[in-house]
Amino acid sequence: MKSVLLCAAAVVACALSVPSIAKPLAAPGYDVPAGKPMRIVVLRPDVEVGSLTAGGVAEPNADWTATARGLLGTSLDSEAKAHGNTIVMMPDLQGDDGQTVADYQALFRAVSDAIVQHKVLPGQRLPTKKEAFDWTLGPGASKLGDLAGGADYALMLYDRDSFGTAGRKALQIFTLLATSAIGAGVFIPGGVHICYASLVDLRTGNVVWFNLLPSSAGDIRTAEGSGAVVNKLLTGMPGTTAVPALVAAAK
Amino acid sequence: MRYVMFACSAVAVLSAMPATAAYHLMTSGTPEYVAKSGLSVTPSQDWNRLGSRPGRNAESWTLDGLALNDMTFYGGIGNDETLFRDAQKKDMPLPHFSSTMLAPDVAQLFEGSYRVANNTTLMSVDSIEPAQVGDQKGFRFTYSFTKQDEEVKRKGEALGAIVGGKLYLLTFEAPAIFYFDRDIASARALMTSAKIGPAPKSN
Repeated sequence: MKSVLLCAAAVVACALSVPSIAKPLAAPGYDVPAGKPMRIVVLRPDVEVGSLTAGGVAEPNADWTATARGLLGTSLDSEAKAHGNTIVMMPDLQGDDGQTVADYQALFRAVSDAIVQHKVLPGQRLPTKKEAFDWTLGPGASKLGDLAGGADYALMLYDRDSFGTAGRKALQIFTLLATSAIGAGVFIPGGVHICYASLVDLRTGNVVWFNLLPSSAGDIRTAEGSGAVVNKLLTGMPGTTAVPALVAAAK
Repeated sequence: MRYVMFACSAVAVLSAMPATAAYHLMTSGTPEYVAKSGLSVTPSQDWNRLGSRPGRNAESWTLDGLALNDMTFYGGIGNDETLFRDAQKKDMPLPHFSSTMLAPDVAQLFEGSYRVANNTTLMSVDSIEPAQVGDQKGFRFTYSFTKQDEEVKRKGEALGAIVGGKLYLLTFEAPAIFYFDRDIASARALMTSAKIGPAPKSN
């Protein structure tokens, strides 16, 4: 019970303290080959959607998660096609192949967490990586392209969304009114929304681009919201628009 | 519950951490005393040292982030002490070191400590053999584990010795995919450079 309360407190506290990312992060000097459409394999979006109770406990909702995952896949496909790229969804694989994909998704999460911790959070920079953006999944990641029937890049997406219940919204209003009356104006977040994406060059396994949305750009349970999230998340991805100011974003 | 933990881990990594957790540069070629002890090493490449300690006599270094490559030094763990901070002492206490332990006992202590600290049953010591730590007789063991709710399979290697009734241990672990194989040479170079002597007065 204690851990649940601590987690709840962490969710609330963190929702208030998540730093924003000014621009996507990218490998210095990296660009996709000019004039050549990218063939991108999209791994099954790692999505979990649920509700956030008045006490701050996140409760999963399988229907919302399935809906959001499907819509995100569709939105990714549309967004990539709009830029002349080809999207290949990683098929559901079984046996050793399925395990390989699962292992790389797990490594992707570990690498992404490291990027967020050491490039986004203040006070957590690694002295050896001040100027560098050189995280990688290793050259073995090329297997992902083979398993998808051929791809130059892999796009990996992680999303955790929790929407406030009616009770939480009531608590939000009550707390704001009550604390405003004494001049404090305490705000309780209605939910927690975190989404990030990485583009991996499958020739090297290097993460060549990374973007994080620390707040909601739309309700990913709807086609419109999902489209808005993907559009905002992929802004600046190599091959979609001009490459951003790269390593400057990491400083 | 799993979702709560997932949500928490997601936001935890995004949350502001205390200033004491900042990282410091450990420069290639410069000998360093580690873990507030007489254990010293000389890195063959630049590393980053985590400002906060996993235990009173422990410290961690990394290249890309602790989840991707974690070199931890345990310097002079005394009789009846734990390897790292006993954060859940009441519900899930860590096993304690004993000065009378032999190499297999230390490997078992390490395995038990990881099972508790990482809340996992997916932890095993895979091999153990005699080795040298500087001019001291010691042991080397390899291990593998997966943390609860994380799914990343990790491999590890440890070098240790019991000197004057105290345990000195150097461990390196990284994801089995790519990172362990890439970084084990640098970790072994640190282990090979290890010397155990009197603790400097500044410690």
